[in-house]
Amino acid sequence: MSTAIDQQVVTFQEQFKKVKDEVSKVIVGYGDIIDGVIMSLLAGGHVLLEGVPGLGKTKLVSTLSDVMHLKFSRIQFTPDLMPADITGTNVVQENALGDKFLEFQPGPIFSNILLADEVNRATPKTQSALLEAMEEHSVTVGKQTHKLDAPFFVLATQNPLEMEGTYPLPEAQLDRFFFKLKVDYPTVESLHTIMNRTTKIEEPKVNRVLGQGEVLEMRKTVRAVPIARPVQDYAIRITLATHPQPPYAHSLTMKYVRYGSSPRGAQALVIGGKIRALLKNRVHVSCEDIRSVAYGALRHRILLNFEGEAERVDTDTIIKGILEGTPEPT
Amino acid sequence: MSDKEIIIQSLKRVERRIRANRLLSEFALGATLFLAFPLALKVLDLFDPLRASTITVIGGTWVLVFAAYVVWRGLRRGTLNQAAASIDKAAGLNDEIKTAFWFIHNPRPSDWVEAQIHRAARSAQSASVDRYFPRQIPKLSYLAAAFIFLFIVLNFVPLPWNHNWLALQAAPAFNLTPEESAILKQTEALLKKAEKLKQSELAQKLEDIVQQLQEGKIDAAQAAQMLDALQSQLDEGNLDAASIREGLEEMAKDLSESDKLQATADAMKNKELNLAADELRKLAEKLGLNSSDQNKQMQKSLQQASESPRLGLEELAKLLKEAAENLKDQDQEAAQEALDQAADELDSLQEKMQSQDLKNQAAQQLQSLQQSLRQRQQASAQKGQRGQKGQGQGQNGQGQKGQRGQQPGDQADGQAGAEGEPSDDAAQGGQAGAPMPGNSEGNGLMPSGKGGGDAPREGAPTQLDVKLQQERVKGIQDEGREENIEEVSKQERSRLDYRNVKSELSPAQKDLLNQDHIPWEYRPLIKNYFQAIRPGDKPAGKSTEKADKK
Repeated sequence: MSTAIDQQVVTFQEQFKKVKDEVSKVIVGYGDIIDGVIMSLLAGGHVLLEGVPGLGKTKLVSTLSDVMHLKFSRIQFTPDLMPADITGTNVVQENALGDKFLEFQPGPIFSNILLADEVNRATPKTQSALLEAMEEHSVTVGKQTHKLDAPFFVLATQNPLEMEGTYPLPEAQLDRFFFKLKVDYPTVESLHTIMNRTTKIEEPKVNRVLGQGEVLEMRKTVRAVPIARPVQDYAIRITLATHPQPPYAHSLTMKYVRYGSSPRGAQALVIGGKIRALLKNRVHVSCEDIRSVAYGALRHRILLNFEGEAERVDTDTIIKGILEGTPEPT
Repeated sequence: MSDKEIIIQSLKRVERRIRANRLLSEFALGATLFLAFPLALKVLDLFDPLRASTITVIGGTWVLVFAAYVVWRGLRRGTLNQAAASIDKAAGLNDEIKTAFWFIHNPRPSDWVEAQIHRAARSAQSASVDRYFPRQIPKLSYLAAAFIFLFIVLNFVPLPWNHNWLALQAAPAFNLTPEESAILKQTEALLKKAEKLKQSELAQKLEDIVQQLQEGKIDAAQAAQMLDALQSQLDEGNLDAASIREGLEEMAKDLSESDKLQATADAMKNKELNLAADELRKLAEKLGLNSSDQNKQMQKSLQQASESPRLGLEELAKLLKEAAENLKDQDQEAAQEALDQAADELDSLQEKMQSQDLKNQAAQQLQSLQQSLRQRQQASAQKGQRGQKGQGQGQNGQGQKGQRGQQPGDQADGQAGAEGEPSDDAAQGGQAGAPMPGNSEGNGLMPSGKGGGDAPREGAPTQLDVKLQQERVKGIQDEGREENIEEVSKQERSRLDYRNVKSELSPAQKDLLNQDHIPWEYRPLIKNYFQAIRPGDKPAGKSTEKADKK
């Protein structure tokens, strides 16, 4: 039995590696970002990539869709984008007899991988069109609910909120993202590699290495990884520490945070920890796994108060404080 | 062995090792901290020697506290959960053992859980306890060892005032000065010499008193008082040496009137009683060779010598009288026997006189020791009073009143006391300085039962109107013999013991005078009374009271 589990773990690692290697053919550097994106996909969540324009966010997502046998759609969010442009709408059709009827024309959301590019350029109303799809994996138009195919994976990119013409995502929607990953400017060495790869005649090509069934199988494997109560307790204490209310509140939280993470944050910690454990060839989750995914899982779930906003406190700083202040279980 | 058992066994090993290392570390820390205390105490002892009782109390407390600490730390055990966390951390196992241990106690029907436990068991098996938790000798243990070494060294430092605690030695509660020790030794030697009079138990008692004093069971004042009692015991049955000598001289004078008894008389006059006894025996042997006139002369001399015997000479007088009567009856044999018995009595007297001399010397030594102790008691009391200065007025008053009588001359007076008799002045001078608990008035009056146990206090010495001027002594007509006349001075207080003053009192009257039945507690009362009624003088008691009130 143990051998079968071991084999499952090895297969998981190999498939993960395959996807990552293929993506890395196009995307230079950003190993952690690639890992985070794949982990979100395998966790059954969605990912929000934040970074200034031109850092390869969209490229990363499109490359990921290229390496998987999955249906891919892309929506460029603009201020005039309407919800129906995302979900689809009922269109009046005429049959052979000349009778008219309404037929649902699915929008780009009906895919496996949805790239919501510059999601914060659309109005909150449009942004909210994704809410149901992201959580329920279904779309309701009129009186009809349409199920989305599994896996359904939203990859959203957004520009930093300080930039012109952006609308902050509503808290409810932010909470639906499994991870929020920050895309930083590449290093000099990475830039050299990018230049070398993108300024030649031949552009790197990627192979499709993962199908729909394999993704779903990998998701099952992730969920099977056991987690001991003390480690789970550690994840919960970290989550609760993001709340400004006692008894677990950290001093930074009490000072700068208005609302802390929802239980989805704890779920993200645990599932992210499980994936990381598998990647580290373990069949159990450790506190280290929880800590390593804490930034991606919690940074968008912490809402700063006025003081925090005024002092431009980074939520990563708060998370760092929480991680340092939360003792491991003994 | 199943995976679970492997994990549990491994965790137990780790827990034991962690506990051993922790205990070593904590004991080293505890020992270092605790050893610093006796070490500091020992250093303090070098500067200010501590008594055995102090060391015992502090040492006992120290041992109890340390034992409690050891028990407290020793009873504290780690859990296997903690051991799992420790081995995970030490071996970098990322909570593998901890997770497995949790699943062992909270089993779930999952292949993944089984696989996890299996993996954890392999990790636990490969994790060497010695590698991750090596036996460690804490650095603090070296410091603790150094403290122990230093403590031992300090105990063996060859300083005269250092006491080896390891050999159960400590500073005595009371240290005798070299002079006091010398006096003590002399006194003991004298008392032991007086063993023939069965006074040897007094030497033992003296040793006991000094031992109790050094052990702190009694203080110097109590010791002085006990010495006082010892001295009184020593004085019991004292012979009146002067009276006996005088009596012997008188007898010798009477005996010298007989030619045959001249040699015996001369020996008696020279206080060589053994020689006198031998002469008397020779005389008894040759009694048959004497003429009747000689015997009559002898009988008359013996008869005269046996009349009005002094105290202590009654038996001798009786035997001499018996011999005289036998001679008168011409019972030569009985006379010889009586003379032999008289000779034996003379030998016995010689022995008693020698013993008495030894006793007197011992008594003098005792008195010196007693006085020395009281002086030290007085000095420590003064020291204590200086320390208490500035405290309550009532306390001051008490201390100051207690100091009355601390005049340098008082102690000298005490030393000048006659042999065998403690001087009142000495008692006053030596005792008055000590603060007397229980005597709030401080006027020298101490009724027995209230604060009893301290030396008698008789207030300020009586101021006599001494006129230090030449005095003409009346001559006494005699047969031209040179004689030392000792009598009470009329202008100056006599320093001569009244018992040695020549008087015309009968031995019985003198003996009566020698007995002093006045308890020392009441002496100040009597003294105050007589001072108050002294004619032509201010009442001493009132002035004393006024001084006290001030």
